[in-house]
Amino acid sequence: MDSIFMRSPDGEVKEVEASVEKLTPLMVAGWIQVPPPKAGSTAAGSKPATPAEEETQHGQH
Amino acid sequence: MANINELLNGWGFGKQTAIGTANGSAAIWRHTNLNTRPWAKVPVNEDDRAEIGKGHEFPTQLFKSHYNMPTYEISKYASSEFLAWAMSFSLGNVAVSGSGPYTYTIVPALGATNPTGLELPYFSFVQQIRPGGSAILDEMLVGCAVKGWKLSIKNSPGRASAMCSAECVTTGQYTSPSGITLPAVYSPHEFNAGMISALTFNGVNYLSGGSAKQFVSMEASWENNFRPGFFPGSGSQDGYQIQGRFEWGDRVFGVQFVVRVQAGSTEYSNLINLTTGTATFTMTRDTNNSVTMLIQKMGFNVAELGNTDGIVTLQITGVQLYDATNGLVTVTVTTPQTGICQ
Repeated sequence: MDSIFMRSPDGEVKEVEASVEKLTPLMVAGWIQVPPPKAGSTAAGSKPATPAEEETQHGQH
Repeated sequence: MANINELLNGWGFGKQTAIGTANGSAAIWRHTNLNTRPWAKVPVNEDDRAEIGKGHEFPTQLFKSHYNMPTYEISKYASSEFLAWAMSFSLGNVAVSGSGPYTYTIVPALGATNPTGLELPYFSFVQQIRPGGSAILDEMLVGCAVKGWKLSIKNSPGRASAMCSAECVTTGQYTSPSGITLPAVYSPHEFNAGMISALTFNGVNYLSGGSAKQFVSMEASWENNFRPGFFPGSGSQDGYQIQGRFEWGDRVFGVQFVVRVQAGSTEYSNLINLTTGTATFTMTRDTNNSVTMLIQKMGFNVAELGNTDGIVTLQITGVQLYDATNGLVTVTVTTPQTGICQ
């Protein structure tokens, strides 16, 4: 499954799995797609990107 | 003199960067259209008949007022490309993934979080008849938006069994000549009702089991109810005021469908018991072309007993409820076309 980068209304950028189950709740909450951040940089005004894998690990705890 | 068959239509599959900034050629595609009329421009003049002090009640002078642009319908057989376009431009929040084919996940934007507030993406619309040095018509309407759409599925053969039309509005701004060389006409990947691969409404699967032969037709619609876009500073064209924004009003998502009645039909009991459930509708042409409309929570408002071509049927009017987590509806379209609404 592909992944894409999404940005929350308060600026958090997160890499998420591009499935309808993952994207729908985020988009309904106002997240929008953004281009992938360039390696080693953080978009101005944005919080650092969170890799999709890391989010999965957190969800397992 | 020109035959209407000579009318060429092209429009932006990519979004404009601003309402007054036209699409570039690279983001415009050319399609056929079942609507046989061109998009008329309607400048409106006013006069001074209401003003006293002239000595009589008759008008003596004309004034330029505004461009009162009518809505325009793009009517197509449903295809992965056109559905991705119509849904993206009408609902507003779009995420795209993949590297060919591309999958567009689309939900209605919310004013509180949409980067452009209550405004949806804009596109440009090109219409031409014999473009060139002696063109009969060659213009590009700038700042168009999708006001709403209708998607209809019915029991009939061929492409007419799956149709989609998009009703569009425009500001009044235009360029003529358009300056656009339209590409070759696009060959969309069209659907028909035989390609429906999922059809479950409120717990009833109309593709398999005892309800497999019940389904007759469905019509879904979306209406953005745009507010008038005239305001101080909205702009002008040829001395006529134009609209400078299209903000959605109270949006309406409608779904109606017709099913045959059989013993044990649950549609009535679902209505009376206020039962709600998801509604899923999928058309799959191949791995590169599919569309799924997932209605997150549907109840029934009306179930009216009737007759369709001699068969006893129920016409169901759905009520699409907003789910706090998953919203109203999610449309997922997989198509070979990149850059739609991007």
